Amino acid sequence: MPISDIPLFSMLRTRMQWHQERQKVLAENVANADTPNFRTRDLKPLDFGSQVQSAGVQSASQAGGPVRLAATDPAHITGAAGSSTFATAGNSKYDVKPAGNAVNLEDEMMKVASNQMDYQAAISLYSRSMGLFRTALGKR
Amino acid sequence: MDFLKSLTIAASGLRAQSGRMRVISENIANADSTAQRPGASPYRRKIPTFRSEVDRALEANTIAMGKVRQDPSDFRTKYEPGHPAADQNGYVKYPNVNSLVEMTDMREAQRSYEANLNVIGATRRMIQRTIDMLRA
Repeated sequence: MPISDIPLFSMLRTRMQWHQERQKVLAENVANADTPNFRTRDLKPLDFGSQVQSAGVQSASQAGGPVRLAATDPAHITGAAGSSTFATAGNSKYDVKPAGNAVNLEDEMMKVASNQMDYQAAISLYSRSMGLFRTALGKR
Repeated sequence: MDFLKSLTIAASGLRAQSGRMRVISENIANADSTAQRPGASPYRRKIPTFRSEVDRALEANTIAMGKVRQDPSDFRTKYEPGHPAADQNGYVKYPNVNSLVEMTDMREAQRSYEANLNVIGATRRMIQRTIDMLRA
């Protein structure tokens, strides 16, 4: 049984993937802070209950691939919105600039900072859990 | 790896904002460029535009500078009969550049640039933490 299939680790890994994906979406928001008609996007928060269930029931099966639009022809473009493994949530903010842009830079900076902190927390938990194994192996 | 994608997206933002800065500095530098001949048009203010484009390799919306448009608003006129570019009534056309507007625009570009830098910094720290995990 590989280490990554242990429920604790697989949950942490999903969490870290989620933060990676969220960082990408946030980078997109910030880069498009001056694009007309651009609306911010964000990922839906991970649901703890469903994570525990999926970790317990089907820990061996990997998280299914990204949800994509069906491409029945090689010339079809799958689109950016469908690239995420996690659901994206459109943000209905009320302060929209006259050009139709709804990016609030302060908000995005806060999200980037909290994303970074949560990611570091997940990383720390991961290394602590690894430490448990090391203790069990008798390597102090 | 998604972190590298985040870096690329933020870098596209940096590139677009510095392009915007270039156009703004062009406007400010030419704020007093009158025409060479009497009656001709002086420098016309330029407006940078942005457009969001789907990067298929990144599967994300990156940002790029669009066409640089020209501002169609009226020129400022000043009564200076002795000026080489004055028309027969003694009026000189000056560019339609308002330095106050340009300064505000410049601040905004700077702010967006810093925001993109901040994203790059945060992403780099996250990558660093991931690498540090191997060492623990």
